[in-house]
Amino acid sequence: MSGATLEIVACAGLATVQDAGRPGRMHEGIPPGGALVPELLAAANLAVGNPPGAAAVELFGKLRVRAHGAHAMTLSLDGAPARPLAPGEVLDVASGPAARVGYLAVGGGIDVPLVLGGRGTLLVAGLGGHQGRALRRGDRLAAGAIGSAAASAARFDLRLDDPIRIVPGPDLERFARDAVAALVSPSPAARLAIGPLGDRVGVRLVGPGDPPWRPLAAAVTISAPMTRGSIQVTPSGELLVLGPDHPTTGGYPVIAVIVSADVGRLLARRPGAPVQLGYASLPA
Amino acid sequence: MSAPPVRMGDAAWRWPRPADADAATLLATLRAWPRVVDVVVSEGHVLVTFDPGRPPPDDPTPVIDACRAAAQAPAARTHVIRVRYDGPDLGEDAASARLSVDELCARHRARVYRVRVVGFLPGFAYLGEVDERLVLPRRASPRARVPAGAVGLAGPYTGVYPLSSSGGWNLIGSAVDFAAFSPVTGATLRLGDEVRFEAA
Repeated sequence: MSGATLEIVACAGLATVQDAGRPGRMHEGIPPGGALVPELLAAANLAVGNPPGAAAVELFGKLRVRAHGAHAMTLSLDGAPARPLAPGEVLDVASGPAARVGYLAVGGGIDVPLVLGGRGTLLVAGLGGHQGRALRRGDRLAAGAIGSAAASAARFDLRLDDPIRIVPGPDLERFARDAVAALVSPSPAARLAIGPLGDRVGVRLVGPGDPPWRPLAAAVTISAPMTRGSIQVTPSGELLVLGPDHPTTGGYPVIAVIVSADVGRLLARRPGAPVQLGYASLPA
Repeated sequence: MSAPPVRMGDAAWRWPRPADADAATLLATLRAWPRVVDVVVSEGHVLVTFDPGRPPPDDPTPVIDACRAAAQAPAARTHVIRVRYDGPDLGEDAASARLSVDELCARHRARVYRVRVVGFLPGFAYLGEVDERLVLPRRASPRARVPAGAVGLAGPYTGVYPLSSSGGWNLIGSAVDFAAFSPVTGATLRLGDEVRFEAA
C-alpha cells in the first residue's frame, strides 16, 4: 500500500470504478461486466505500468480530483503519457472529445475490494467498485500496489468512424430474408446512429421509421441467453445493442452480434454518431 | 445427434437445448469444458462463451449429446423459503384464477419447484412449474420498483426478486429472512435446486 488516495472534488456525469469484469458468473444471472471500452481501460493502465485490466475510473463527463498522501501519484487518461499528481494538487479530466467515455488510471490500480471475482461496479446490484455505487464528491479512492511494469504510453486508436463488424444470427428465422442485408446497407435510407440514451446495460441504434428488420410475429417467445454485443430487435424494430452489464437472458430476438473487438468501439460513440454495420469475416 | 452450434458473434456458441437433457448436468459439464468462460442454460437454449483469441480446442456438441436421456439429476440442494402472503396483486390474482386468496396461497406452497432458469437479474431464479390455475400473464405495465424479496407469479413460474428493480410479475407475497442474492456468495438459488415455500 502506498497510502496515497485520490479525492473526488467534483463530478459531472456518471463515474464508476471498473475493471476487466466478472467472467464465469453468468449462470448466476451476473452480467460479464468490465469496462464499456476495454481498449481504453487497457491503454490507461499500461501508461501507468498497471496490468491492462486493473481497476480504474470510468467516466462519462468530467471529474476534478485531488491527490493525498506522502508521495505523488501517477495518472493517465485513456493512455496519455503518465503524469504525476503531487499531494494537494488538483487535476481536471474529461472524457472525449471523440469518445463518450474515458478511463482515469492510477499507478498501482484503484484499491477496492474484490467482489464475486471482480472490482468493477455493478449498479443494478449495488455491488463492487466504491461501495457499490457511482462516485460522488468527497469520495476517496485508495491507490493500490499492483504492477510495476515499465509504463508504455500507446494511445489506442478507436477508429470511431470505421464500420462495425457483425456476425448474422442466431435468430435469423425470426426475420425477413433480406433483414440483415438491410442492416448492413450503405443506403442513406437505412442510416443508423447512436440513440440519445444509453448506459452500461446497452444503447439503442436509431434508424428508419419502418425498418425492414422488424421481427416476424412469433406464437411464443421464450427468454434466451444474451451476450455483450448482441443486437436485439424489439417488436417495433428498434435495435438494442447490449453492453457489459446486460441481463444474462432476454426475450427479444437477436438479428446479429457485433464481434468482440468492435463492441467497445461502438459503445464509445456519442449519441447521434453515425454507425455503419458490415459483415465480419471469421475463420470457419 | 444435436446440431452443431450457431455462432453468437465471435465469442459465443448457442445450441437449441435438447428437451431430454438435464439443465444442471448441462451447466456443470460445459463449465468444465476447456477454455469455456461462461455457460447459460435457459429453457430453450444452451450458450457457451469464450475468448475469441483462445477458443475451445474442440466443439462441445458431443458432450451436450452425452447429457441427453439421462434421468433428471437429483437436486443438489433444497431450499425452504418462508413467505408472508401480503402482495399487492393477491386479490386481483385470486380473482383471475377463480380461487379464494387462501386457496391461491395454499396452491402456491403445495408444490416442490425446481430452478428452471437463472437470469434477468443477478440471482433471479425462475421456479417451475406452478399449479396450472396459478399460470397468469405478466402485468400489462411493469412496476417501476419492486422491492427485493417480493414473491411473484408469471406464466409457468414463481420467483423471488433478488434486488429492488423494475418488474412485471404479479406480486403475491414477501420472502422472510431470505436473500436470493448476496454480494459475498452470489446467487442463492442455482439451476436444478429444489425450492419449497412455507407460510410465515
